[in-house]
Amino acid sequence: MNLTFEILTPLTTVFKDEVDEIVVPTVNGEITILPNHINLLTQVFPGELIVKKGSNIHSLAVTGGFMEVSKNRVSILADYAIKTQDIEIAKVEEAKKRAEKIMQEKTSEKDFKIAQGELLKAIIELKVAGKRRRRS
Amino acid sequence: MANLLSLKRRIRAANNVSKTTRAMQMIATSKLKKAQDMTLAVRPYVEKLTAISQSLSDKSNKENTHKYLGHPEAIAPTLFIVISPDKGLCGGLIVALTRELIAFDSNNEKNVYMTIGKRIEGAVASLQKNVAASFKFGTTLPPYDVVFPIVNIIDDHFLNGRVGSVKILSTQFLSVFSQKPKITSVLPIEFPNDKLEKSSFALFEPSLEILLPNLLKHYLEMTIYQHLLESFASEQASRMIAMQNATDNAHEIVEDLMLEYNKGRQEKITNEILDIASPSFIQYE
Repeated sequence: MNLTFEILTPLTTVFKDEVDEIVVPTVNGEITILPNHINLLTQVFPGELIVKKGSNIHSLAVTGGFMEVSKNRVSILADYAIKTQDIEIAKVEEAKKRAEKIMQEKTSEKDFKIAQGELLKAIIELKVAGKRRRRS
Repeated sequence: MANLLSLKRRIRAANNVSKTTRAMQMIATSKLKKAQDMTLAVRPYVEKLTAISQSLSDKSNKENTHKYLGHPEAIAPTLFIVISPDKGLCGGLIVALTRELIAFDSNNEKNVYMTIGKRIEGAVASLQKNVAASFKFGTTLPPYDVVFPIVNIIDDHFLNGRVGSVKILSTQFLSVFSQKPKITSVLPIEFPNDKLEKSSFALFEPSLEILLPNLLKHYLEMTIYQHLLESFASEQASRMIAMQNATDNAHEIVEDLMLEYNKGRQEKITNEILDIASPSFIQYE
């Protein structure tokens, strides 16, 4: 009995496959979803998401969203998600600097919030990418 | 002679028109590509979000109720949001929207309107009903933050009980060649009766009271954003096709006028030859 797992973001479907195990950061801490998990609705916290399929381990970075577990179907509606191997560290560093700069300058509340979101995204991506590199 | 000159002028005018429409077609095509990608990408996300929100709506009768859920009150007025483009020249899109708007208005007397896009403002004003707000649509792909002021106004009307339901009229992007105006009910979130599968969540973390407002707010924002994207893609597709037709028509006119012009020119030459030649005939006779 496998889990059907998908991550949807407003821009694309990041991941869709049959998997064995999913480790998700949620508001109540990290939880692991195994087959036949009780039906659950929860809020996903920014962090690293680990998907295990056989001996393969996939890692993804997410920046919050909602997770639905229902009859061995797991769907995550994420604001933003990216596979760790797709993260380009140089680009993210640059985005982080740009966001920090905007936040330091006195900008409108709207710009500040957008920059804040960008910064969070960059920090999470860097954190997850750094972890993954050390491990492998 | 005067006739030939005016023909020449008309040919030049038609050529200029075809250049303009061709340029507009190109612009619409380039905008369409991006809009289409975004529209199609956001669809599965919103569908899933809607499914989750709807499956929660049967929880509304218990103590964990939220104002977004429930059944529409038939007596209360409807907040009717109309989304149209800012600019015209996009085929029958605006006419179709207006027709739908008038049909809806004649069936529902008490409405409060909100318009997004300049082109529909006039039609809504002519209905002589309350208009809660008018927004511009813009001519570029709408960024996500445009939904926040819209959601604020919806909240203001809906949560304070001034309206009983919220509906959106927007143009659905079916394909590049086909867009259809459609009315969708946004609030309250109702459980679809035809689907028997009721909410099966046994567990909510941290709790339903905390999750529900976040989830439903997100649902509302995403739904509105999706409608904006669909409308934008429809507008560009419709304009592209309309401008393509206009360019073709202009070329056709140029061809017809050219034929007429050449005929006239030939006739003139023949006449001149006759003028030169005829006196000599008389001499030799």
